Amino acid sequence: MFFHIVLERNMQLHPRHFGRNLRENLVSKLMKDVEGTCSGRHGFVVAITGIENVGKGLIRDGTGFVTFPVKYQCVVFRPFKGEILEAAVTMVNKMGFFAETGPVQIFVSNHLIPDDMEFQSGDMPNYTTSDGSVKIQKDSEVRLKIIGTRVDATEIFCIGTIKDDFLGVINDPTTA
Amino acid sequence: MARRRDEEDDDVDDEEYEDEEDQLVDDEDYEEDEDVGRGRGGSSRKRRRSDFIDDVAEEDDEEDEYEDDDDEVYGGGGKKHSKAPRVGSQFFDLEAQVDSDEEEEEEEGEDDFIVETGADLPDEDVGRRIHRRPLPMREDEQEDVEALERSIQARYARSSHTEYDEETTDVEQQALLPSVRDPKLWMVKCAIGRERETAVCLMQKFIDKGVELQIRSVIALDHLKNYIYIEADKEAHVREAVKGLRNIFPAKIMLVPIREMTDVLSVESKAIDLSRDTWVRMKIGTYKGDLAQVVDVDNVRQRVTVKLIPRIDLQALANKLEGREVAKKKAFVPPPRLLNVDEARELHIRVERRRDPVTGDYFENIDGMLFKDGFLYKTVSMKSISAQNIKPTFDELEKFRAPSTNGVEMVGLSTLFANRKKGHFMKGDAVIVVKGDLKNLKGWVEKVEEENVHIRPEMKGLPKTLAVNEKELCKYFEPGNHVKVVSGTKEGATGMVVKVEQHVLIILSDTTKEHICVFADDVVESSEVTTGITKIGEYELHDLVLLDNNSFGVIIRVESEAFQVLKGVPERPEVSLVKLREIKCKVDKKFNVQDRYRNTVAVKDVVRILEGPCKGKQGPVEHIYKGVLFVYDRHHLEHAGFICAKADSCCIVGGSRSNGDRNGGSLSRFGGFKAPSRVPPSPRRFSRGGPPFDSGGRHRGGRGGHDALVGTSVKIRQGPYKGYRGRVVDVKGQSVRVELESQMKVVTVDRNSISDNVVISTPHRESSRYGMGSETPMHPSRTPLHPYMTPMRDPGATPIHDGMRTPMRDRAWNPYAPMSPPRDNWEEGNPASWGTSPQYQEVLLQGHMKHLLLVQVGLVLLAVVTVRLEYREIAVQLMPTLQVLICHQLLVGSL
Repeated sequence: MFFHIVLERNMQLHPRHFGRNLRENLVSKLMKDVEGTCSGRHGFVVAITGIENVGKGLIRDGTGFVTFPVKYQCVVFRPFKGEILEAAVTMVNKMGFFAETGPVQIFVSNHLIPDDMEFQSGDMPNYTTSDGSVKIQKDSEVRLKIIGTRVDATEIFCIGTIKDDFLGVINDPTTA
Repeated sequence: MARRRDEEDDDVDDEEYEDEEDQLVDDEDYEEDEDVGRGRGGSSRKRRRSDFIDDVAEEDDEEDEYEDDDDEVYGGGGKKHSKAPRVGSQFFDLEAQVDSDEEEEEEEGEDDFIVETGADLPDEDVGRRIHRRPLPMREDEQEDVEALERSIQARYARSSHTEYDEETTDVEQQALLPSVRDPKLWMVKCAIGRERETAVCLMQKFIDKGVELQIRSVIALDHLKNYIYIEADKEAHVREAVKGLRNIFPAKIMLVPIREMTDVLSVESKAIDLSRDTWVRMKIGTYKGDLAQVVDVDNVRQRVTVKLIPRIDLQALANKLEGREVAKKKAFVPPPRLLNVDEARELHIRVERRRDPVTGDYFENIDGMLFKDGFLYKTVSMKSISAQNIKPTFDELEKFRAPSTNGVEMVGLSTLFANRKKGHFMKGDAVIVVKGDLKNLKGWVEKVEEENVHIRPEMKGLPKTLAVNEKELCKYFEPGNHVKVVSGTKEGATGMVVKVEQHVLIILSDTTKEHICVFADDVVESSEVTTGITKIGEYELHDLVLLDNNSFGVIIRVESEAFQVLKGVPERPEVSLVKLREIKCKVDKKFNVQDRYRNTVAVKDVVRILEGPCKGKQGPVEHIYKGVLFVYDRHHLEHAGFICAKADSCCIVGGSRSNGDRNGGSLSRFGGFKAPSRVPPSPRRFSRGGPPFDSGGRHRGGRGGHDALVGTSVKIRQGPYKGYRGRVVDVKGQSVRVELESQMKVVTVDRNSISDNVVISTPHRESSRYGMGSETPMHPSRTPLHPYMTPMRDPGATPIHDGMRTPMRDRAWNPYAPMSPPRDNWEEGNPASWGTSPQYQEVLLQGHMKHLLLVQVGLVLLAVVTVRLEYREIAVQLMPTLQVLICHQLLVGSL
């Protein structure tokens, strides 16, 4: 799920950035630092949409760096248990398949793939229904439900299922 | 109460009849008698003595065998209080009389018609207490019955409220223990296999002779062959009693110490309930260790029919059946494989299909073995299987489930938990009831008692907590839970639950992203992602390992079931995730290579990397393999500080530790145990110049005539005192006087036939390093070596070795002093000596210890092992490398 929230961060800025463009430099550094990171609490920071407020800078003794407390608005993405997502399949193996929605990796175990779908090994490993009408392979798009999440310092890993109503392939690259 | 009384009356009548009928109670009655005895045994502890009826009704049906046994034991103990054989009653009253002496005594006076018979022993036919009683007197009986009824009433009126006090406290139990005043137990040797018979003989003898026989009881134990126990006050009584019995060897009558008396009759292990479908393991035979499933239990004959995966070599079987080849003792055990009947037929093995008359199932009968669905059905003794805490692995279960349907398999799995370990439920665990009326009820553990778990049920409308037997409970997980495996083969792994199949969870491992199957019991919910372990199998963090695609690398991180390995590719740091099975072996051999400037680089030398991605880094070499160095740089933050570099893009830094002797004597260093380089020349010169002592000299010439051995604790390993330990009090030439620990005497033994164990008991050597020679733990260990060492030495070398040893003693543990001998040896050109000579070891040890104080225990052990080898005189053949190997293994092991 995406959220638009306000976060705060202390930015350290090198003295060489001081001057007219200080604010821009600060913002660009903030973007560089923050976008794409992950925190257990808020999930992935997808994009910074605006700066709320830049506090007073504090010069650090000895280094000359200045610390600014910056409040910024950003879009974060955090997967939740039970959430239904659309994801692109990145890898298929006999244990199941991995899919990604943005930065989040989701694993769908073969136990959580409908029983009528069988694993087909080969050049392009895939899961296919017995009548061959539905196929999950790399680059397929699937709709899945998250049943478990594990949040590390740097990534969020999820387990998903497509063994439920209205879940499964939504766009097959071979037919499209 | 009324019902009870009725029962009792019946019982009483029964007993009377029995009494009249025969004296020797037959087998059937035993059980009853036992019950009676038990009832009394339990109840009579605190109560009356005047009643002459058994309070059978009082006996607790739920009381299990073991309690029962205990009671009997204590009953037996209590029985001993009754001093004089009593006479005068017709009631066959089997009592475990456990009252206190006084009470008993006075009451006995009152009613002399009570028959004091001992409690029966747990085993029906084990030596029974011999009942001292005269023939019953008919006339008394009528009135007795009335009196009896009255007394019962009186008794129960009294006892109804005391009933709950029955549980004995520890103190009371203590009071029941035999004391010095009680009769003693004598262990008497008898013919093997005749223990029971002998006991019965004695009983018969007692019946015949009555009071003359002054023994109290006879006990034959099933598990004790060759001996019976006789309870009597004096040894003479025992002798008297056993006189004339040919199965008894009265030469050996031993007194059982009071403290051990209770052990004689206590039950060692709790029998587990073996029921159908229980998983067991075979303890003996071809199938030793194999998993088996109980199909049928015959409690009477103590036999179990189990289902096994056969280990049958059909070819051999065919040969045997055709008489072609006499089956020899097989060198190998055939692998377990389900039997294919067609295959057997192809080999012309006769397969009979028979119907089992009892079960109606069809079995294939091959050479007397029964098969069904490819499984072997085997009837074995209960003793040959173990059923306690069996944890079948998934592979094993997989094999068992192969032909059966899914439904059946689950039945099998549920029985897995019948004999599982206790105490794995914790407060807060989510559980599900798997058996009984409440099946499928979910809840949370609130409290765990011995057997019962109190759960807070999920469903509304139920009591707040329910007590459920832990066998009926199973931990409950839902897909998506993050869990940690806390026991079993996959211990330590963490992952997310993907699927729950009753007791079995399928988990997606965090580290390997693979599925693992575990039992719900082995798992706890946790948010942890494991990285903590440093060792899987024999591979440890920072080990150099050879991978199966012939690449190699250093383990830089150990995950729950995989390693991160920094591959030995110098061009770029390459890390790969390697599973245990992908590792071929550990490389612990030490190599030397040459750096850019042709200096030899060995492990632990500090090198600087001159080119490549990690140019400028510097640190000690941890591993060397195929010209590639693994350098450890503390300041390198990636890959756990390991850097992989080509040897010729590095240069050794400054005067590294082992540089000094490198060019000359690099060979003298063996693996990690190299002699540190800086050998001060003085000891060598000194020793060279020193007068050559004879080999005995080193023993004699201690410090000021004080032998190193004196005061040390040694073990005698030869001669009549073999195995004794003691302290050396004096040494004279080749003989040593040892004060034995176990006997208060000093014996003289040959110097060669003692060994010492001080080494083991003094693992810390640091403290004694500067002490005098005799106190250093290493010294004694050398002593026994020496006599064996001498002959194998180069004759020319001998005097020198010995010569230099003695003076060295003064500074034996000066860190530098012992360094010299190997070099001497080496320069003597006598390679055979340096590997095996004690000096060399000393150097090895010393040298190594200097760097790795951690491994001290290992070092000490090393010395011991070498000593052991010497005893067998293998030492002569021991090549230095081999020894190093041993050292190393030990070190590894000891770490």
